[in-house]
Amino acid sequence: MRRLLFTLAFVLLIVSTWIGLTEGQIVPVARNILYVHVPNSVCALLCFVVLLVASIGYLTTGRQTWDQAAAASAEVGFVFATILNATGMLFSRAEWNVWWTPSPRLVTSAILWFLYAVYLILRISLPGSRHRKARLCAVFGILAFLDVPLVFVSARFIPDIHRPSFRLDSAWQTAALMLGMAGTVLLAGALIWLRTSLLRSSLRLEEELLR
Amino acid sequence: MRDLYRGLRAILVKDIAVELRARQVLPTMVVLGMLIVFILRMVSEPGSAGVGAPVMGAAALWIAFLFSGLLAQERSFAAEQQNGCIDGLLLAPLDVGTIYLAKLLANVIVLTIFEVIVVPIVMMSFDLHVAGRWRWLVVVLLLGNVGISSIGTLFSAAVQLTRTRGSLLSIVVLVILMPMMIPASFALLVLFGAMPDHVAGSSSFAFVGSLRAAVGYMLAFDAVFVVACWLLFGVVVEE
Repeated sequence: MRRLLFTLAFVLLIVSTWIGLTEGQIVPVARNILYVHVPNSVCALLCFVVLLVASIGYLTTGRQTWDQAAAASAEVGFVFATILNATGMLFSRAEWNVWWTPSPRLVTSAILWFLYAVYLILRISLPGSRHRKARLCAVFGILAFLDVPLVFVSARFIPDIHRPSFRLDSAWQTAALMLGMAGTVLLAGALIWLRTSLLRSSLRLEEELLR
Repeated sequence: MRDLYRGLRAILVKDIAVELRARQVLPTMVVLGMLIVFILRMVSEPGSAGVGAPVMGAAALWIAFLFSGLLAQERSFAAEQQNGCIDGLLLAPLDVGTIYLAKLLANVIVLTIFEVIVVPIVMMSFDLHVAGRWRWLVVVLLLGNVGISSIGTLFSAAVQLTRTRGSLLSIVVLVILMPMMIPASFALLVLFGAMPDHVAGSSSFAFVGSLRAAVGYMLAFDAVFVVACWLLFGVVVEE
């Protein structure tokens, strides 16, 4: 099942790339990074929703699986947030001739990255029992999620350069973006699933060794 | 309600009395704050090319508050850790949320005393003027104070009770506070005249470009995080 999900995600991504390189190419060429950038930003936010749900799930039920899902979604979300910021910086350099500038969406994506980074640091460096650790991480996960809409609003206090300066004008371009979106979301889901089950196996192994 | 008030008062009086007798944290905070202001003042000679004094002054104020606030919050639960005081506190016939509110109030009071000392120093050394809008300045600083303290108090409990290294507290608190720092700095820039009102209200600042909007945003931020931290405090201290 998981293998099927991965295969499907890769097929979709390859088809999307193919269309992006041929029929759906955007001129000038630097703007084609949109096909990676937009799906990645959506997934970085989706992983935060999974993190919130898993954190609340852990605090209410106390089951390990929720904690592992939270850890997995934070790790995957961190990767997507990193790609989001990296592709954003490349695009910004090509389009506006600066690598980074304080502008609402740029600030928002940077803070998103910081939230994931701190969550992961918290996970590896908290001492104490497993339950206490998981509980504190869940608390941070919930508060960090509260931050996301607040960042969206507060970023409006900064002048904006990030305006969609072009539209998708052919059906091919829309198709490439939509396929890329579907592929990336499936990939994110499959990766979270994979990481969750890996974390579960490593926990079981630890318990076996301690016995 | 009466229980809440009595519990709140008991813990608050204890914390303030301890601080007044031992003077453990306030002198350190003030000297740290003054050092931060001093360093920023040294690198911002008026007349030289670069950012103006109002910008540096606003930066100095918020950086001093953030880091000195962290010192206060770290102490507030480190003291409870000695001789297992925290166990006694948790066993008291009180709602755990009350403990959080009392600690939050104590931290807000300490940070307010700090602000009363440091704000005039910053305003004098950077030659800042608010053009008669003192009330707005007080409101902005107090709202920032409550925001900084609310998150700091929750996570200082978490970090102290697990005996984690203190550096973890600073990154956790600073990252959650980041959205508030945007309107907070914006408000100070407007007050100190670094951003003229007609620019602040212009269309490039989207729908929330005024001082009033910044204060409203900070109020909303404080409300969200005080309530969230108050609700989650029980989860953090639970054994």
